[in-house]
This record gives sequence, structure tokens and C-alpha cells, in this order.
Amino acid sequence: MSNTTSDDSLITTEVQADSNDDRAPLGETGTAVAARNLDVYYGDEQAIDDVTMEIPEKRVTALIGPSGCGKSTFLRCINRMNDMIEICRVEGDVEFGGKNVYEDDVDPVALRRKIGMVFQKPNPFPKSIRDNVAYGLKIQGYEGDVDERVEESLKAAALWDEVNDQLDSSGLELSGGQQQRLCIARAIAPDPEVVLMDEPTSALDPVAASKIEDLIDDLAEEYTVIIVTHNMQQAARISDRTAVFLTGGRLVEYDDTTKIFEDPEEQRVEDYITGKFG
Amino acid sequence: MPRENYQERLEQLRSDVVAMGDLVLDRYETALRAAETGDDDLAAEVIDGDHEINARYLELEEECTELLALQQPVAGDLRLVTASFKIITDLERVGDLATNIAEYGGDDGGIHPAVDFRELGDAAGEMVADAVAAYEASDAEACREIDARDDDLDERCRRASEAVVRSLLEADRARTEADGTEEPDPDRLADTLDEISHALLAIRDLERVGDHGVNIAARTLYMIESDDELIY
Repeated sequence: MSNTTSDDSLITTEVQADSNDDRAPLGETGTAVAARNLDVYYGDEQAIDDVTMEIPEKRVTALIGPSGCGKSTFLRCINRMNDMIEICRVEGDVEFGGKNVYEDDVDPVALRRKIGMVFQKPNPFPKSIRDNVAYGLKIQGYEGDVDERVEESLKAAALWDEVNDQLDSSGLELSGGQQQRLCIARAIAPDPEVVLMDEPTSALDPVAASKIEDLIDDLAEEYTVIIVTHNMQQAARISDRTAVFLTGGRLVEYDDTTKIFEDPEEQRVEDYITGKFG
Repeated sequence: MPRENYQERLEQLRSDVVAMGDLVLDRYETALRAAETGDDDLAAEVIDGDHEINARYLELEEECTELLALQQPVAGDLRLVTASFKIITDLERVGDLATNIAEYGGDDGGIHPAVDFRELGDAAGEMVADAVAAYEASDAEACREIDARDDDLDERCRRASEAVVRSLLEADRARTEADGTEEPDPDRLADTLDEISHALLAIRDLERVGDHGVNIAARTLYMIESDDELIY
């Protein structure tokens, strides 16, 4: 989609991925991200319990479950956002591009360029719309045409038509829905492979939320989207695969979204999604 | 349990569909008696009462629509609502067929004796009754068993149709021979053909009642096991 100056490796040292690994590269199997026997602890508290799942590339995968079930923790493990929490300890693998992102030679900053993130509350920088989108490009030393990339990103985030005549205005002057799309433009500007979204519409009104939902559908043509949502109807509407986490950080069921919402295997999942247990 | 009101509405929907089934089956039984006896009052009771079945249908259709729109059911709840939505259509059609059947006993001259009308009617009605019972009890095995009965009913209806045609044609031939003519009387032949088509329509309606029983069983099986093997 764009030309970046950095190579695509996540590795900052000369060490490369283990060439003896007999698993096929994830890219060739159509898997964007895979968790293998993942455990996450906050101090003595276990937040994720032995989760193994493969997330398909260029699809929307929804993570649902009650509060405290570990779905956001899982999401934040994928691009090592949990590194910033001192008491957080991660065991097991999160594979991206055929490599465990928790290996010592993986640069978290490089990783986050490949796996962008959008948060619950729109959080544009107190900068112009242009600078918000260009921020990541500047960090990575992008040598292409920044304005061109800003335009591409704003178009991909379905915001260009609304802001193309005010690129120098502050991002904070936009409406909540526009701010969230600006954050999505900022996340995709460095041309990531995966976009993580943590309840991206929960702070938005229904019209703004529906625009984001349409956008997510479009984004999945280029990117792998992994979204945490409390809104089960949203998960049903926009995702291809749904993972249901229940209490204790356990992944109880993971399947095609249609299967989960029409005929889940697990009674606990049925009880949760039908509202009999919350 | 969260969403208690919603859960109560789902249970109410199920019992209302069963109640509609009971009403339809009651009318169907009356229609069979009207056809057997030629009792015009019974026939009128069925025909005049069809609006009540239609009204029940519309009420339940609205309830299903409202549950889908406002409660957004999923999984087993979704299957209950969508299956109910389809089942009430089948029940409403059985009600329509009951009005046809009731009329066969009136001015149309009754059901031809070559048709074992009561036996066929009971077999078809039992399929609907058993399907409604399977829906009420979430009995998957009963659904499959009802489906298995359909071939037998179809075969019996086919034999009944043949028997009617054979009987009426033979009777007409005998009358023609008795008259000593080579060609049948055109007016009498027209009457004979009317009688044949009348009997065949009655048989077809009974067969269709059985088909609706199978449809209800198929939707019920989908509701219970998410299994569409009987639907198509």
C-alpha cells in the first residue's frame, strides 16, 4: 500500500526468526496472529488462562465476553501493550509473521507499527488533522510523500471527504465519531498488517458507530481486524470469527460468527449471548 | 436470571403457538366431521371461524417481528423465534385447508365412498398434532418420526386417488352399457368428471395437511438441534 523506509522485520538485532521452525510461516497458512498456550498474570492474578487460537488474516475477528474475562488483556498482548504494565507477566507464545512477539529480539515499537491499535475513547493528539495522521509516519522516518499518505489514510478511514479542506485544523475540533475515524487513519497510516480495536464505538452515538462499523468492514479488505466489543449485536454484524471469553480468562468457544450466534457448541456460550448469564 | 421479561415472552410465544395449533386442529376435526356428515352448520362453523385463526396468526407474526426487532435474539432463542414464525404460517394454511375440507360435505355432494376419508384425515391431522406436540416438548426424535410417516400418507393418498378415478369411470361405463349406447351421455360425463376432480381435491388437501405437519416437524427439529435435514 505504501513505501516505508524500514524493512518489514520486527527484529532490531541481526538475529532472525528460527529457520528450523518446522511450522509453516503463518502468512502462508492465512493466519495473521496465533496465540499458543498463552497465560497472562497481573501479579498473582491470572487474567488469561491457556489460550490457543489462530486469527485469520484480512478478516474481522471479534473478542466478546463479560467484564473482566480477559478479552482486552488478550488484545493488548498481541502488540505487547501489556509491556507497559509492570506487574504483567506473559507466558506462552503470540505468533505474528511466524515469530513469537515476546522473544527478546523483537522491538515492541516496530511490532506496533505492524499491529496498530484503536482505543475505546477517541484520543487524537492536540495537533492538526494532518499531523495526527502523519505522526506515526514521522516516527518511523517515512521517506515517501507524507501528504499523499495522509490523504490515502484519511480516505481509507472514510474521513477524507469531511476534512479535506481543514487538514490544518485541530483534530480535537472534530466530532467524537470523526475523532475516532481520525484515530483509525492514524493507526493505518504506517501501513500495519493488523489493526486492534478495543471497544472502538462504545463512546459514540449510533450513527457514528454505524460509520465505524462500515469502515471496519472495508478495512478488512486490506488489514486483519481484531476487535473487542461488549456489543454482541455489533460482533454479530461485523465479524467473520468470534471468540468468546468467559470468567477466568478462558477462551470457551471460537468459531465462525454465524455458528456462534446461531448454534454455539457450549451451553455457557449460549447462556451468555442470550443474556441468561452475565 | 437476566432479561427475565424477555425469557417470559419467549415462553409465552411458544405456548401461544401451541394454543394456535390446538385451535387449528380443533377446526380441522370439525371440518372432517362436516365433510363426512354433510352437516352445513359444522361447515359454516369452520368457514366462519377461519378469521379467528387468521387473527391469531397476525398477532403471533407481530410478536415474532417485535422480538426480532427489539430483543435481537440469538442462538437457541433465535431458532425458537424463526421456527415459530414459520410454524404459524403452516398452521394458518392448515386452517385454510380445513375450510376447503368442510365445504366438501355440503352442496358438493360429499366425499366419494372410494376414499377412506376419515382414515386419511386422521393420519394427516395426527401428523400436525404430533408436530405441535414435538414443538412444545422440544422432541427431536418425534420430528424425524413424523417425517418418516409422510411417505406412507402420500402413498395412501395416491392409492385413494386411483381408486376414485377407477370407481367413477367404471360406474360411468356400466351406466353407458346399461343405456345401450356406445358414447356416454355428455351431461353425465361432465358430472362424473366433476365428481372425480372434487374427490381428488379432497385427497390433495388431506395430503397437504400432512405436508404442513412435516414442515412443522422440520422447523421444530431446526429449532432444537439447528439441524435443517428435514427442511429441504
